[in-house]
Amino acid sequence: MGDTTHDNHETELRHHYDDELEEIRANLVDFGTMVLTNVRHSGEVVTENLLDEVADVRAADGPINSRYSELESKVFEILALQQPVARDLRFLVASTRVLYELERSGDLAVNIVKTLARLDGLPSDPIIQSLLNRLSISSAKMFASGVQALASMDPQIGVDADDEDQETDKLTRDLYQAVTERQEELGLETAVALFRMGRFFERIADHGVNIAENVTFVVTAKFPDEI
Amino acid sequence: MTDSIDLVSDTDAETGKSGTRDPTPTPRVSGRPRVTGGTPNDANKVIIDFKDVDVYYGDFHAVDSVTVPVREKEITAFIGPSGCGKSTVLRSINRMNDLIESARVEGTITYHGVDLYAPGVDPVEVRRHIGMVFQKPNPFPKSIYENIAFGPKIAGFKGNMDDLVEESLLRAALWNEVKDRLTETALALSGGQQQRLCIARAIATSPDVLLMDEPASALDPIATLRIEDLMYELKQDYTIIIVTHNMQQAARVSDRTAFFSVDVNEGRRTGRLVEFTETAKIFTSPQQRETEDYITGRFG
Repeated sequence: MGDTTHDNHETELRHHYDDELEEIRANLVDFGTMVLTNVRHSGEVVTENLLDEVADVRAADGPINSRYSELESKVFEILALQQPVARDLRFLVASTRVLYELERSGDLAVNIVKTLARLDGLPSDPIIQSLLNRLSISSAKMFASGVQALASMDPQIGVDADDEDQETDKLTRDLYQAVTERQEELGLETAVALFRMGRFFERIADHGVNIAENVTFVVTAKFPDEI
Repeated sequence: MTDSIDLVSDTDAETGKSGTRDPTPTPRVSGRPRVTGGTPNDANKVIIDFKDVDVYYGDFHAVDSVTVPVREKEITAFIGPSGCGKSTVLRSINRMNDLIESARVEGTITYHGVDLYAPGVDPVEVRRHIGMVFQKPNPFPKSIYENIAFGPKIAGFKGNMDDLVEESLLRAALWNEVKDRLTETALALSGGQQQRLCIARAIATSPDVLLMDEPASALDPIATLRIEDLMYELKQDYTIIIVTHNMQQAARVSDRTAFFSVDVNEGRRTGRLVEFTETAKIFTSPQQRETEDYITGRFG
Protein backbone atom coordinates (compact mmCIF):
# COMPACT_ATOMS: atom_id res chain seq x y z
CA MET A 1 0.00 0.00 0.00
CA GLY A 2 2.89 2.38 0.55
CA ASP A 3 2.53 5.51 2.55
CA THR A 4 -1.05 6.67 2.53
CA THR A 5 -2.88 9.12 4.69
CA HIS A 6 -5.98 7.13 5.30
CA ASP A 7 -5.10 5.15 8.35
CA ASN A 8 -3.96 1.72 7.45
CA HIS A 9 -5.75 0.12 10.30
CA GLU A 10 -8.81 -1.97 9.92
CA THR A 11 -11.68 -0.80 12.00
CA GLU A 12 -13.33 -3.03 14.57
CA LEU A 13 -16.38 -3.28 12.33
CA ARG A 14 -14.29 -4.48 9.41
CA HIS A 15 -12.55 -6.99 11.68
CA HIS A 16 -15.95 -8.34 12.56
CA TYR A 17 -16.90 -8.43 8.87
CA ASP A 18 -13.70 -10.26 7.98
CA ASP A 19 -14.37 -12.73 10.77
CA GLU A 20 -17.88 -13.30 9.44
CA LEU A 21 -16.60 -13.96 5.91
CA GLU A 22 -13.95 -16.35 7.20
CA GLU A 23 -16.58 -18.08 9.30
CA ILE A 24 -18.73 -18.60 6.19
CA ARG A 25 -15.76 -20.07 4.34
CA ALA A 26 -14.83 -22.38 7.20
CA ASN A 27 -18.46 -23.44 7.47
CA LEU A 28 -18.61 -24.17 3.75
CA VAL A 29 -15.59 -26.46 4.08
CA ASP A 30 -17.13 -28.12 7.09
CA PHE A 31 -20.49 -28.49 5.36
CA GLY A 32 -18.75 -29.78 2.23
CA THR A 33 -16.92 -32.40 4.32
CA MET A 34 -20.20 -33.42 5.91
CA VAL A 35 -21.78 -33.96 2.46
CA LEU A 36 -18.63 -35.66 1.16
CA THR A 37 -18.83 -38.15 4.02
CA ASN A 38 -22.37 -39.07 3.05
CA VAL A 39 -21.49 -39.19 -0.65
CA ARG A 40 -18.67 -41.66 0.11
CA HIS A 41 -20.95 -43.61 2.39
CA SER A 42 -23.56 -43.91 -0.37
CA GLY A 43 -20.85 -45.28 -2.69
CA GLU A 44 -19.81 -47.89 -0.12
CA VAL A 45 -23.41 -48.87 0.51
CA VAL A 46 -23.82 -49.52 -3.22
CA THR A 47 -20.56 -51.31 -3.94
CA GLU A 48 -20.51 -53.37 -0.74
CA ASN A 49 -24.24 -53.97 -0.89
CA LEU A 50 -24.80 -52.62 2.63
CA LEU A 51 -28.59 -52.54 2.52
CA ASP A 52 -28.84 -52.19 6.29
CA GLU A 53 -26.96 -48.86 6.07
CA VAL A 54 -29.36 -47.28 3.56
CA ALA A 55 -31.30 -45.77 6.44
CA ASP A 56 -28.12 -44.18 7.85
CA VAL A 57 -27.38 -42.38 4.58
CA ARG A 58 -30.98 -41.18 4.43
CA ALA A 59 -30.93 -40.01 8.04
CA ALA A 60 -27.71 -38.05 7.52
CA ASP A 61 -29.47 -35.85 4.95
CA GLY A 62 -31.64 -34.17 7.62
CA PRO A 63 -28.73 -32.36 9.29
CA ILE A 64 -27.35 -31.52 5.82
CA ASN A 65 -30.59 -29.74 4.92
CA SER A 66 -30.65 -27.85 8.23
CA ARG A 67 -27.06 -26.77 7.78
CA TYR A 68 -27.86 -25.55 4.28
CA SER A 69 -30.72 -23.33 5.48
CA GLU A 70 -28.71 -21.99 8.36
CA LEU A 71 -25.71 -21.04 6.23
CA GLU A 72 -27.84 -19.58 3.47
CA SER A 73 -29.60 -17.30 5.97
CA LYS A 74 -26.24 -16.18 7.27
CA VAL A 75 -25.01 -15.32 3.77
CA PHE A 76 -28.20 -13.35 3.03
CA GLU A 77 -27.80 -11.47 6.28
CA ILE A 78 -24.24 -10.42 5.42
CA LEU A 79 -25.32 -9.42 1.90
CA ALA A 80 -28.06 -7.23 3.34
CA LEU A 81 -26.08 -5.63 6.14
CA GLN A 82 -22.60 -5.20 4.69
CA GLN A 83 -23.39 -4.31 1.07
CA PRO A 84 -20.33 -6.20 -0.10
CA VAL A 85 -18.48 -5.36 -3.29
CA ALA A 86 -15.58 -6.79 -5.29
CA ARG A 87 -14.07 -10.02 -3.93
CA ASP A 88 -16.36 -10.03 -0.89
CA LEU A 89 -19.37 -9.84 -3.20
CA ARG A 90 -18.02 -12.55 -5.47
CA PHE A 91 -17.36 -14.75 -2.46
CA LEU A 92 -20.84 -14.33 -1.00
CA VAL A 93 -22.63 -14.80 -4.31
CA ALA A 94 -20.47 -17.87 -5.00
CA SER A 95 -21.27 -19.13 -1.49
CA THR A 96 -24.99 -19.21 -2.25
CA ARG A 97 -24.25 -21.19 -5.42
CA VAL A 98 -21.87 -23.54 -3.59
CA LEU A 99 -24.42 -24.13 -0.84
CA TYR A 100 -26.92 -25.19 -3.48
CA GLU A 101 -24.39 -27.53 -5.11
CA LEU A 102 -23.59 -29.11 -1.75
CA GLU A 103 -27.20 -29.55 -0.74
CA ARG A 104 -28.12 -31.10 -4.09
CA SER A 105 -25.20 -33.51 -3.81
CA GLY A 106 -26.53 -34.60 -0.43
CA ASP A 107 -29.89 -35.33 -2.06
CA LEU A 108 -28.21 -37.34 -4.81
CA ALA A 109 -26.42 -39.52 -2.24
CA VAL A 110 -29.83 -40.31 -0.77
CA ASN A 111 -31.26 -41.02 -4.25
CA ILE A 112 -28.43 -43.49 -4.85
CA VAL A 113 -29.14 -45.57 -1.76
CA LYS A 114 -32.91 -45.38 -2.30
CA THR A 115 -32.40 -46.77 -5.78
CA LEU A 116 -30.25 -49.58 -4.36
CA ALA A 117 -32.97 -50.38 -1.79
CA ARG A 118 -35.58 -50.52 -4.55
CA LEU A 119 -33.36 -52.96 -6.45
CA ASP A 120 -32.86 -54.87 -3.21
CA GLY A 121 -29.12 -54.92 -3.90
CA LEU A 122 -27.04 -54.80 -7.08
CA PRO A 123 -27.34 -57.49 -9.74
CA SER A 124 -24.54 -60.05 -9.46
CA ASP A 125 -22.95 -59.11 -12.81
CA PRO A 126 -19.23 -58.45 -12.07
CA ILE A 127 -18.82 -55.92 -14.91
CA ILE A 128 -21.73 -53.81 -13.67
CA GLN A 129 -20.46 -54.04 -10.10
CA SER A 130 -16.95 -53.10 -11.10
CA LEU A 131 -18.13 -50.13 -13.18
CA LEU A 132 -20.33 -48.84 -10.35
CA ASN A 133 -17.45 -49.26 -7.91
CA ARG A 134 -15.10 -47.24 -10.09
CA LEU A 135 -17.82 -44.67 -10.84
CA SER A 136 -18.59 -44.11 -7.17
CA ILE A 137 -14.87 -43.64 -6.40
CA SER A 138 -14.32 -41.29 -9.35
CA SER A 139 -17.45 -39.30 -8.52
CA ALA A 140 -16.47 -38.90 -4.86
CA LYS A 141 -12.96 -37.87 -5.93
CA MET A 142 -14.33 -35.04 -8.09
CA PHE A 143 -16.65 -33.95 -5.33
CA ALA A 144 -13.73 -34.01 -2.87
CA SER A 145 -11.68 -31.79 -5.15
CA GLY A 146 -14.49 -29.21 -4.99
CA VAL A 147 -14.37 -29.30 -1.20
CA GLN A 148 -10.57 -29.12 -1.37
CA ALA A 149 -10.87 -25.97 -3.53
CA LEU A 150 -13.03 -24.40 -0.81
CA ALA A 151 -10.47 -25.30 1.84
CA SER A 152 -7.46 -24.01 -0.06
CA MET A 153 -9.17 -21.30 -2.20
CA ASP A 154 -6.86 -22.52 -4.95
CA PRO A 155 -8.23 -21.26 -8.31
CA GLN A 156 -6.24 -23.86 -10.28
CA ILE A 157 -8.40 -26.74 -9.04
CA GLY A 158 -11.39 -25.24 -10.86
CA VAL A 159 -9.33 -24.65 -13.99
CA ASP A 160 -8.34 -28.34 -14.11
CA ALA A 161 -11.67 -29.74 -12.92
CA ASP A 162 -13.46 -30.04 -16.22
CA ASP A 163 -10.67 -32.18 -17.73
CA GLU A 164 -10.48 -34.36 -14.65
CA ASP A 165 -14.21 -34.92 -14.79
CA GLN A 166 -13.79 -36.75 -18.12
CA GLU A 167 -13.05 -39.98 -16.26
CA THR A 168 -16.42 -39.92 -14.47
CA ASP A 169 -18.19 -39.12 -17.71
CA LYS A 170 -16.46 -42.02 -19.46
CA LEU A 171 -17.32 -44.47 -16.67
CA THR A 172 -20.95 -43.31 -16.82
CA ARG A 173 -21.04 -43.96 -20.57
CA ASP A 174 -19.40 -47.37 -20.04
CA LEU A 175 -22.04 -48.23 -17.46
CA TYR A 176 -24.85 -47.21 -19.83
CA GLN A 177 -23.26 -49.37 -22.52
CA ALA A 178 -22.90 -52.40 -20.21
CA VAL A 179 -26.49 -52.07 -18.96
CA THR A 180 -27.81 -51.67 -22.53
CA GLU A 181 -25.99 -54.84 -23.57
CA ARG A 182 -27.55 -56.74 -20.65
CA GLN A 183 -31.01 -55.17 -20.63
CA GLU A 184 -32.81 -58.37 -21.46
CA GLU A 185 -31.32 -60.41 -18.64
CA LEU A 186 -31.53 -57.45 -16.20
CA GLY A 187 -35.09 -56.56 -17.06
CA LEU A 188 -36.39 -53.07 -17.80
CA GLU A 189 -36.91 -51.95 -14.22
CA THR A 190 -33.39 -52.88 -13.10
CA ALA A 191 -31.84 -51.42 -16.23
CA VAL A 192 -33.59 -48.08 -15.66
CA ALA A 193 -32.58 -48.09 -11.98
CA LEU A 194 -28.93 -48.68 -12.92
CA PHE A 195 -29.07 -45.87 -15.49
CA ARG A 196 -30.44 -43.59 -12.81
CA MET A 197 -27.75 -44.60 -10.34
CA GLY A 198 -25.05 -43.88 -12.89
CA ARG A 199 -26.62 -40.51 -13.56
CA PHE A 200 -26.66 -39.66 -9.83
CA PHE A 201 -22.95 -40.43 -9.44
CA GLU A 202 -22.15 -38.41 -12.55
CA ARG A 203 -24.16 -35.42 -11.24
CA ILE A 204 -22.32 -35.48 -7.91
CA ALA A 205 -19.03 -35.18 -9.81
CA ASP A 206 -20.50 -32.25 -11.79
CA HIS A 207 -21.43 -30.48 -8.58
CA GLY A 208 -17.83 -30.92 -7.41
CA VAL A 209 -16.63 -29.32 -10.65
CA ASN A 210 -19.06 -26.42 -10.20
CA ILE A 211 -17.87 -25.82 -6.66
CA ALA A 212 -14.23 -25.70 -7.74
CA GLU A 213 -15.12 -23.37 -10.63
CA ASN A 214 -16.90 -21.02 -8.24
CA VAL A 215 -13.71 -20.83 -6.18
CA THR A 216 -11.86 -19.83 -9.35
CA PHE A 217 -14.47 -17.11 -9.86
CA VAL A 218 -14.06 -15.80 -6.32
CA VAL A 219 -10.29 -15.55 -6.62
CA THR A 220 -9.88 -14.42 -10.24
CA ALA A 221 -13.26 -12.79 -11.02
CA LYS A 222 -13.53 -15.18 -13.98
CA PHE A 223 -14.89 -18.64 -14.53
CA PRO A 224 -12.38 -21.14 -15.96
CA ASP A 225 -13.91 -20.97 -19.44
CA GLU A 226 -13.32 -17.20 -19.43
CA ILE A 227 -9.66 -17.45 -18.43
CA MET B 1 -18.84 20.50 -32.30
CA THR B 2 -15.06 20.36 -32.08
CA ASP B 3 -14.62 22.98 -34.73
CA SER B 4 -17.42 25.22 -33.60
CA ILE B 5 -16.62 25.29 -29.87
CA ASP B 6 -15.65 28.78 -28.87
CA LEU B 7 -14.28 29.37 -25.41
CA VAL B 8 -12.91 32.81 -26.11
CA SER B 9 -14.87 35.63 -24.51
CA ASP B 10 -18.00 36.62 -26.43
CA THR B 11 -17.14 40.28 -26.12
CA ASP B 12 -15.29 41.50 -29.14
CA ALA B 13 -12.29 43.53 -27.98
CA GLU B 14 -12.67 46.15 -30.69
CA THR B 15 -16.37 46.75 -30.91
CA GLY B 16 -17.51 45.62 -27.48
CA LYS B 17 -20.39 43.84 -29.19
CA SER B 18 -21.73 40.60 -28.01
CA GLY B 19 -20.66 37.52 -29.93
CA THR B 20 -22.81 35.28 -32.02
CA ARG B 21 -23.03 32.20 -29.83
CA ASP B 22 -26.65 31.16 -29.62
CA PRO B 23 -27.55 30.43 -26.02
CA THR B 24 -30.98 29.05 -26.91
CA PRO B 25 -31.44 25.77 -25.07
CA THR B 26 -32.04 22.56 -26.94
CA PRO B 27 -35.71 22.17 -27.96
CA ARG B 28 -37.99 20.83 -25.28
CA VAL B 29 -38.82 17.19 -25.38
CA SER B 30 -42.36 16.23 -24.61
CA GLY B 31 -42.88 15.33 -20.98
CA ARG B 32 -40.12 13.86 -18.89
CA PRO B 33 -36.95 12.76 -20.60
CA ARG B 34 -36.95 9.13 -21.61
CA VAL B 35 -34.70 6.97 -19.48
CA THR B 36 -32.57 4.89 -21.77
CA GLY B 37 -30.65 2.86 -19.26
CA GLY B 38 -27.00 3.34 -18.56
CA THR B 39 -24.10 1.42 -19.86
CA PRO B 40 -20.70 2.80 -20.67
CA ASN B 41 -20.03 2.72 -24.36
CA ASP B 42 -16.55 3.05 -25.78
CA ALA B 43 -18.10 4.44 -28.96
CA ASN B 44 -19.13 7.55 -27.02
CA LYS B 45 -16.93 10.47 -27.92
CA VAL B 46 -14.35 11.66 -25.41
CA ILE B 47 -15.58 15.13 -24.46
CA ILE B 48 -13.16 15.99 -21.68
CA ASP B 49 -9.72 14.50 -21.85
CA PHE B 50 -7.21 14.65 -19.00
CA LYS B 51 -3.70 13.84 -20.09
CA ASP B 52 -0.95 13.66 -17.47
CA VAL B 53 -2.58 16.37 -15.42
CA ASP B 54 -0.74 17.64 -12.34
CA VAL B 55 -2.19 20.32 -10.09
CA TYR B 56 0.01 22.46 -7.86
CA TYR B 57 -0.75 25.06 -5.23
CA GLY B 58 2.51 27.01 -5.20
CA ASP B 59 5.20 24.38 -4.68
CA PHE B 60 2.68 21.97 -3.18
CA HIS B 61 2.00 19.10 -5.53
CA ALA B 62 -1.72 18.43 -4.94
CA VAL B 63 -2.49 15.97 -7.72
CA ASP B 64 -0.10 13.78 -9.65
CA SER B 65 -0.39 12.73 -13.27
CA VAL B 66 -4.06 12.11 -13.92
CA THR B 67 -5.11 10.65 -17.26
CA VAL B 68 -8.85 10.17 -17.64
CA PRO B 69 -10.94 10.31 -20.80
CA VAL B 70 -14.47 11.45 -19.93
CA ARG B 71 -17.02 10.29 -22.48
CA GLU B 72 -20.02 12.17 -23.76
CA LYS B 73 -23.43 11.49 -22.18
CA GLU B 74 -22.01 9.23 -19.53
CA ILE B 75 -21.78 9.75 -15.80
CA THR B 76 -18.22 9.55 -14.56
CA ALA B 77 -17.69 9.27 -10.81
CA PHE B 78 -14.58 10.34 -8.91
CA ILE B 79 -14.20 8.49 -5.63
CA GLY B 80 -11.47 8.23 -3.03
CA PRO B 81 -10.53 9.18 0.52
CA SER B 82 -10.39 12.76 1.75
CA GLY B 83 -7.42 14.66 0.37
CA CYS B 84 -7.04 12.43 -2.68
CA GLY B 85 -7.53 15.37 -5.04
CA LYS B 86 -10.83 14.32 -6.60
CA SER B 87 -12.46 17.72 -6.03
CA THR B 88 -9.31 19.51 -7.15
CA VAL B 89 -9.38 17.55 -10.39
CA LEU B 90 -13.09 18.30 -10.84
CA ARG B 91 -12.54 22.00 -10.25
CA SER B 92 -9.69 22.11 -12.69
CA ILE B 93 -12.18 21.33 -15.48
CA ASN B 94 -14.14 24.56 -15.29
CA ARG B 95 -11.13 26.48 -14.04
CA MET B 96 -12.48 27.01 -10.55
CA ASN B 97 -8.93 26.60 -9.27
CA ASP B 98 -8.07 29.84 -11.09
CA LEU B 99 -9.68 31.57 -8.12
CA ILE B 100 -6.74 30.39 -6.01
CA GLU B 101 -3.84 32.52 -7.07
CA SER B 102 -1.06 29.99 -6.55
CA ALA B 103 -2.88 27.15 -8.32
CA ARG B 104 -1.49 25.88 -11.58
CA VAL B 105 -2.29 22.99 -13.85
CA GLU B 106 0.29 21.03 -15.84
CA GLY B 107 -0.50 18.54 -18.57
CA THR B 108 -3.55 19.07 -20.73
CA ILE B 109 -7.27 19.10 -20.16
CA THR B 110 -9.19 19.38 -23.39
CA TYR B 111 -12.88 19.98 -23.93
CA HIS B 112 -14.11 18.99 -27.40
CA GLY B 113 -10.45 18.97 -28.34
CA VAL B 114 -9.87 22.55 -27.14
CA ASP B 115 -7.18 23.03 -24.49
CA LEU B 116 -9.03 24.56 -21.54
CA TYR B 117 -5.86 26.26 -20.33
CA ALA B 118 -4.74 27.67 -23.67
CA PRO B 119 -4.06 31.41 -23.74
CA GLY B 120 -7.18 33.34 -24.68
CA VAL B 121 -9.61 30.83 -23.22
CA ASP B 122 -12.04 32.74 -21.06
CA PRO B 123 -12.85 30.93 -17.79
CA VAL B 124 -16.28 32.57 -17.70
CA GLU B 125 -17.03 31.18 -21.13
CA VAL B 126 -15.76 27.76 -20.00
CA ARG B 127 -18.18 27.82 -17.08
CA ARG B 128 -21.09 28.56 -19.43
CA HIS B 129 -20.32 25.34 -21.27
CA ILE B 130 -19.38 23.37 -18.18
CA GLY B 131 -21.83 23.99 -15.35
CA MET B 132 -21.22 23.19 -11.71
CA VAL B 133 -23.37 22.06 -8.80
CA PHE B 134 -21.92 22.25 -5.31
CA GLN B 135 -22.20 20.17 -2.17
CA LYS B 136 -24.36 22.64 -0.32
CA PRO B 137 -27.31 23.98 -2.31
CA ASN B 138 -26.53 27.65 -2.86
CA PRO B 139 -29.49 29.41 -4.46
CA PHE B 140 -29.28 33.18 -4.74
CA PRO B 141 -31.44 34.98 -2.17
CA LYS B 142 -33.86 35.82 -4.97
CA SER B 143 -37.03 34.37 -6.41
CA ILE B 144 -37.09 30.91 -7.97
CA TYR B 145 -37.59 32.54 -11.38
CA GLU B 146 -34.68 34.91 -10.98
CA ASN B 147 -32.38 32.13 -9.87
CA ILE B 148 -32.82 30.53 -13.28
CA ALA B 149 -33.00 33.73 -15.32
CA PHE B 150 -29.89 35.33 -13.81
CA GLY B 151 -27.21 33.43 -15.72
CA PRO B 152 -28.87 33.59 -19.16
CA LYS B 153 -29.59 37.32 -18.63
CA ILE B 154 -25.90 38.00 -17.91
CA ALA B 155 -24.99 35.88 -20.94
CA GLY B 156 -27.15 38.07 -23.12
CA PHE B 157 -29.98 35.63 -23.68
CA LYS B 158 -32.45 37.19 -26.12
CA GLY B 159 -35.11 34.47 -26.37
CA ASN B 160 -38.27 33.92 -24.34
CA MET B 161 -37.12 33.88 -20.73
CA ASP B 162 -40.37 32.36 -19.40
CA ASP B 163 -39.90 29.40 -21.71
CA LEU B 164 -36.27 29.02 -20.71
CA VAL B 165 -37.14 29.05 -17.00
CA GLU B 166 -39.87 26.46 -17.50
CA GLU B 167 -37.64 24.30 -19.68
CA SER B 168 -34.81 24.38 -17.16
CA LEU B 169 -37.09 23.58 -14.23
CA LEU B 170 -38.72 20.76 -16.19
CA ARG B 171 -35.37 19.24 -16.98
CA ALA B 172 -34.38 19.46 -13.33
CA ALA B 173 -37.65 17.71 -12.36
CA LEU B 174 -38.70 20.69 -10.24
CA TRP B 175 -41.30 22.43 -12.41
CA ASN B 176 -44.37 20.72 -11.01
CA GLU B 177 -43.39 21.56 -7.46
CA VAL B 178 -42.68 25.26 -8.06
CA LYS B 179 -44.70 26.37 -11.11
CA ASP B 180 -47.27 28.20 -8.97
CA ARG B 181 -44.74 30.03 -6.85
CA LEU B 182 -42.01 31.14 -9.20
CA THR B 183 -41.88 34.60 -7.63
CA GLU B 184 -41.35 33.26 -4.12
CA THR B 185 -37.89 33.21 -2.61
CA ALA B 186 -35.80 30.18 -3.48
CA LEU B 187 -34.61 30.02 0.12
CA ALA B 188 -38.03 28.72 1.19
CA LEU B 189 -37.51 25.51 -0.78
CA SER B 190 -36.41 22.29 0.91
CA GLY B 191 -32.76 21.25 0.65
CA GLY B 192 -33.49 18.73 -2.08
CA GLN B 193 -35.56 21.25 -4.03
CA GLN B 194 -32.84 23.87 -3.65
CA GLN B 195 -30.32 21.43 -5.07
CA ARG B 196 -32.56 20.68 -8.03
CA LEU B 197 -32.98 24.43 -8.48
CA CYS B 198 -29.20 24.75 -8.60
CA ILE B 199 -29.13 22.03 -11.25
CA ALA B 200 -31.84 23.91 -13.20
CA ARG B 201 -29.77 27.07 -12.85
CA ALA B 202 -26.69 25.28 -14.16
CA ILE B 203 -28.68 23.93 -17.11
CA ALA B 204 -30.16 27.33 -17.99
CA THR B 205 -27.02 28.57 -19.70
CA SER B 206 -27.17 25.47 -21.93
CA PRO B 207 -23.94 23.74 -20.98
CA ASP B 208 -23.19 20.23 -22.20
CA VAL B 209 -21.17 19.15 -19.18
CA LEU B 210 -22.29 19.26 -15.54
CA LEU B 211 -19.82 18.96 -12.70
CA MET B 212 -21.29 17.85 -9.40
CA ASP B 213 -19.25 18.06 -6.24
CA GLU B 214 -20.93 15.86 -3.62
CA PRO B 215 -24.36 17.04 -4.83
CA ALA B 216 -26.37 14.90 -2.44
CA SER B 217 -24.21 14.71 0.66
CA ALA B 218 -26.27 17.36 2.46
CA LEU B 219 -29.58 15.70 1.60
CA ASP B 220 -31.72 13.00 3.18
CA PRO B 221 -32.01 9.59 1.46
CA ILE B 222 -35.25 10.40 -0.39
CA ALA B 223 -33.94 13.71 -1.74
CA THR B 224 -30.69 11.92 -2.59
CA LEU B 225 -32.56 9.35 -4.66
CA ARG B 226 -34.38 12.13 -6.51
CA ILE B 227 -31.06 13.75 -7.40
CA GLU B 228 -29.72 10.36 -8.54
CA ASP B 229 -32.83 9.80 -10.67
CA LEU B 230 -32.40 13.24 -12.11
CA MET B 231 -28.77 12.60 -12.99
CA TYR B 232 -29.80 9.43 -14.74
CA GLU B 233 -32.32 11.36 -16.83
CA LEU B 234 -29.98 14.26 -17.50
CA LYS B 235 -27.30 12.07 -18.97
CA GLN B 236 -29.36 11.75 -22.14
CA ASP B 237 -28.39 15.32 -22.91
CA TYR B 238 -25.44 16.07 -20.67
CA THR B 239 -22.12 14.64 -19.68
CA ILE B 240 -21.92 14.46 -15.89
CA ILE B 241 -18.90 14.18 -13.64
CA ILE B 242 -19.67 13.58 -9.99
CA VAL B 243 -17.41 13.61 -6.97
CA THR B 244 -18.88 11.52 -4.20
CA HIS B 245 -17.90 10.04 -0.88
CA ASN B 246 -20.83 7.69 -1.16
CA MET B 247 -19.56 4.62 -2.95
CA GLN B 248 -23.01 3.12 -3.28
CA GLN B 249 -24.04 6.31 -5.04
CA ALA B 250 -21.15 6.01 -7.47
CA ALA B 251 -22.12 2.38 -8.01
CA ARG B 252 -25.77 3.26 -8.59
CA VAL B 253 -25.50 6.19 -10.95
CA SER B 254 -22.19 6.20 -12.76
CA ASP B 255 -21.02 4.48 -15.93
CA ARG B 256 -17.33 4.78 -15.17
CA THR B 257 -15.45 5.38 -11.97
CA ALA B 258 -12.07 6.88 -11.25
CA PHE B 259 -10.57 5.88 -7.91
CA PHE B 260 -8.05 8.31 -6.46
CA SER B 261 -5.77 7.71 -3.52
CA VAL B 262 -3.31 9.86 -1.65
CA ASP B 263 0.37 9.54 -0.83
CA VAL B 264 2.02 11.37 2.03
CA ASN B 265 5.58 12.57 1.71
CA GLU B 266 6.99 14.50 4.64
CA GLY B 267 3.48 15.34 5.78
CA ARG B 268 2.35 16.61 2.37
CA ARG B 269 -0.44 14.86 0.60
CA THR B 270 -0.44 14.23 -3.11
CA GLY B 271 -3.47 12.71 -4.75
CA ARG B 272 -3.12 10.29 -7.61
CA LEU B 273 -5.35 8.22 -9.86
CA VAL B 274 -5.22 4.53 -8.98
CA GLU B 275 -7.74 3.03 -11.33
CA PHE B 276 -10.22 4.23 -13.92
CA THR B 277 -12.61 1.81 -15.54
CA GLU B 278 -16.23 0.85 -15.96
CA THR B 279 -18.15 1.20 -12.70
CA ALA B 280 -19.43 -2.37 -12.84
CA LYS B 281 -15.83 -3.56 -13.03
CA ILE B 282 -14.63 -1.36 -10.19
CA PHE B 283 -17.27 -2.79 -7.88
CA THR B 284 -17.08 -6.44 -8.94
CA SER B 285 -13.51 -7.02 -10.02
CA PRO B 286 -11.19 -4.05 -9.44
CA GLN B 287 -7.73 -4.62 -10.87
CA GLN B 288 -5.79 -2.75 -8.19
CA ARG B 289 -5.44 -4.02 -4.66
CA GLU B 290 -5.66 -0.44 -3.38
CA THR B 291 -9.05 0.02 -5.05
CA GLU B 292 -10.32 -3.26 -3.60
CA ASP B 293 -9.15 -2.33 -0.11
CA TYR B 294 -10.87 1.04 -0.30
CA ILE B 295 -14.22 -0.02 -1.75
CA THR B 296 -14.53 -3.01 0.56
CA GLY B 297 -13.84 -0.76 3.53
CA ARG B 298 -10.56 -2.40 4.52
CA PHE B 299 -8.95 1.02 4.76
CA GLY B 300 -10.43 4.36 5.35
